[in-house]
Amino acid sequence: MKNIYTKIVVLGCFLVLTVSCENDLPTRANYTAYEFSGLDEDGGSWSPVLLSGSDQIIIDAPDDVTSSDYRAELSVVKSVTSNLNGSQRNAVDYWTNNPMLRWNEIALELIAKYNLIPGPNDDGTYTLPNPASPEGPPGFPFAHPPYAVRALAYMSVAQFDGLISAWHYKYLFNRKAPYQVDNTINVSYNQNDMPSYPSDGAVIAAVSRDILTVMFPLEKDYLIVKADEHMKSLVWAGVNVDSDIVAGEFIGEEVAKVALARAATDGMKKAQTSKVVSDSIKAAAFARFGWQWDNLEVPVRPVGLAPLFGKVKMWSVHTVEEVRPGIPPAPGSPEYETNVKELIGYAKNRTEEHRRLANYWQDGLGTYTPPGHWNKIAKDYVIKYALNPLRTARTFAYLNMAMMDGGISCWDTKYYYHYPRPIQLIPGYKTIAGTPNFPSYSSGHSVFSAAGAEVLAYIFPAEASQVRAWAVEAAESRICGGIHWRFDAEVGTTQGKNVAAYTVDIAKDDGAD
Amino acid sequence: MKKFILILFVSPLLQELHAQTATDAIMMKQRESCFALIYEQGSFDHYWEGTYLRENRTIATVSRKTILPMIAIGLHDKLNLIVAAPYIKTESSEPNGGRFDGAKGFQDLSISLKGELLNKEMGNGKMLLLSTLGYSTPITNYLSDYRPYSIGFGANEVNLRGILQYKLNMGIYARASGAFLWRGQTKVERDYYYANGSYYTPWMDVPNAWSYDVVAGIRLFENSLQLEARYIGLRSTSGDDIRAYNAAQPTNKVNEDAVCFKAQYWFQNVKGFGLLANYTRVVNGRNVANYSGLGGGITYQFKL
Repeated sequence: MKNIYTKIVVLGCFLVLTVSCENDLPTRANYTAYEFSGLDEDGGSWSPVLLSGSDQIIIDAPDDVTSSDYRAELSVVKSVTSNLNGSQRNAVDYWTNNPMLRWNEIALELIAKYNLIPGPNDDGTYTLPNPASPEGPPGFPFAHPPYAVRALAYMSVAQFDGLISAWHYKYLFNRKAPYQVDNTINVSYNQNDMPSYPSDGAVIAAVSRDILTVMFPLEKDYLIVKADEHMKSLVWAGVNVDSDIVAGEFIGEEVAKVALARAATDGMKKAQTSKVVSDSIKAAAFARFGWQWDNLEVPVRPVGLAPLFGKVKMWSVHTVEEVRPGIPPAPGSPEYETNVKELIGYAKNRTEEHRRLANYWQDGLGTYTPPGHWNKIAKDYVIKYALNPLRTARTFAYLNMAMMDGGISCWDTKYYYHYPRPIQLIPGYKTIAGTPNFPSYSSGHSVFSAAGAEVLAYIFPAEASQVRAWAVEAAESRICGGIHWRFDAEVGTTQGKNVAAYTVDIAKDDGAD
Repeated sequence: MKKFILILFVSPLLQELHAQTATDAIMMKQRESCFALIYEQGSFDHYWEGTYLRENRTIATVSRKTILPMIAIGLHDKLNLIVAAPYIKTESSEPNGGRFDGAKGFQDLSISLKGELLNKEMGNGKMLLLSTLGYSTPITNYLSDYRPYSIGFGANEVNLRGILQYKLNMGIYARASGAFLWRGQTKVERDYYYANGSYYTPWMDVPNAWSYDVVAGIRLFENSLQLEARYIGLRSTSGDDIRAYNAAQPTNKVNEDAVCFKAQYWFQNVKGFGLLANYTRVVNGRNVANYSGLGGGITYQFKL
């Protein structure tokens, strides 16, 4: 008997080890400070998106490195870097020399945190999040894909403009980095010849904090703590003195004001309409085409998601009508029937590959949304190609401008045509992903993905075929999942490409190529 | 022990059905075997979102049907092997607001070894101490992340249980057991998720848990009928809450308090055959379905 128990104990230990040998689960991108592939010394001459020029925001010339004020600042850097404590070391390692990526991650995390659709009240009504009383319930915002892409666009554009300003003054004033003034300073990041006044890190911290605070007002305190730690870490890393940071923070705050002024009047406030307006939009579509999308939730949601997001001011496209696709196949037409057959086929024969695709690209409620997914893809390429913060900001700015324009165009199309979803038209139809609260045609995933892929294909030409293939996969995933008709996805992909071309044209002409 | 008694509880966790096949105090003799086939049908129309009990008409009433084949083998008078593999089907009632398809398939294979550590006459009865070591692993590629329809939590589990029973010679007994469940990670089909923060990986940690029960029962009519009332508790040691009006996910902290009533009958004139019926209801919980289910099955005992 004893022998048997020994065997059981040995087996038990083995089994426990099998379970407890768990992977460490990553909560952020796994990268450390790296050597930039280039410094873009002429970055100050690039065209900003919102600012009239890189000298619109004015900062004072810095003290010379020989001045006593500077010497005092330098001695602070020298003393703190010589003896970092554990939390200072962790902060330096976390933020790295490309903190653009960390702030993008923070934005994505807030999107995922707030991407919760308000549920019904006990009496069957729905209460919408209200920016005037953000605590709710429901809390403000509901960070759905249009909200998310807009937040990302404003943050990225302001970061880009702020860094163009910073680059302008860096190479105008040419004040050396602390570690070049005093080579005994213990510097944590890769050294280079980039001047340190004003601090690019502080620009990024201030811009990101200020934009995200407006987009996610309940996170104000959290964002202040993050930005403070980030700005302090620049001294701890030995890359900036205090006056570098003060000047950078000033630029960041000023450019954020410019971006937020645009955001305040871009039409987003009116995007979520009353039921009266929503019903009139629906009735207009029915009069025009003879069909209308209906929400099928229980209880019924009285208004679709952001019916007037299609009226929001675009970044690169002059009028939303010029990128609106043509009319979808009418229910009952031969092309429509072919689409129905395809969807019924997917439902009858669900393969594991279809399930995988539908889930991988779903990016639904509670996640960082499809635009967030493409920011994550961009982040991986930024690391792979070792971009500096300015190039990184340019990548995210055009990526999110194009995707926001794509979203605006898509929403215009959705509420203009008001086309029904598969679950509405195919009796008894069931899906393996949630059907969203807005019309079917064209597919938001397809437009966002194609628009994002086109910008990434332009910025990372070696990855063009990969990102375009992913965009098509994302579009297909919506058909596999039963959420969209094939024409929603295919037209949406073309639409995304067309819209992104406007932004890529601007990018090609901004002086960076 | 003249007869092998199979006691079975099908735990109604929100999207998982985990057969606790090894919580009773009964040992089979060497070379004796028992095969059981159990069907259980249950449903819920409320669930706990965190600790808030709510309905959700997107999913309406979710039903769950389980067929559980299971075999117990006496490797030795004091060591039994128990193997089970449930087949599960889930779906929403009509009408519902979500129009989601259900899920179905074989869930996990569980293998348990149960050993008798102590068997002692005390007063007018007998004291038994046993221990069970169990392992379970998914046997199909079901998606643990498809809540509330997914048929299991999609990860390996190792559990170690201690069982103590005192049974009076007149047939009344009381039993208590406690176990720790080490649960591994489940691979989902997205590479980013939010669980009180971002995770950039398709792997989700399924929280470990404590599981325990208290049982009062009686054997009647010369041992041919057994009646039992049971409380079952489960407490996850970590995990996040389901967010407002959002789907559950395998990372959730799952707690539950459930009651179970069971009757089992052994035919005197049909050699080896028995019948069982049980009713289970979750009475309180956290991130778990307010499930109730009714099950029935047959058992057949034979010599190898």
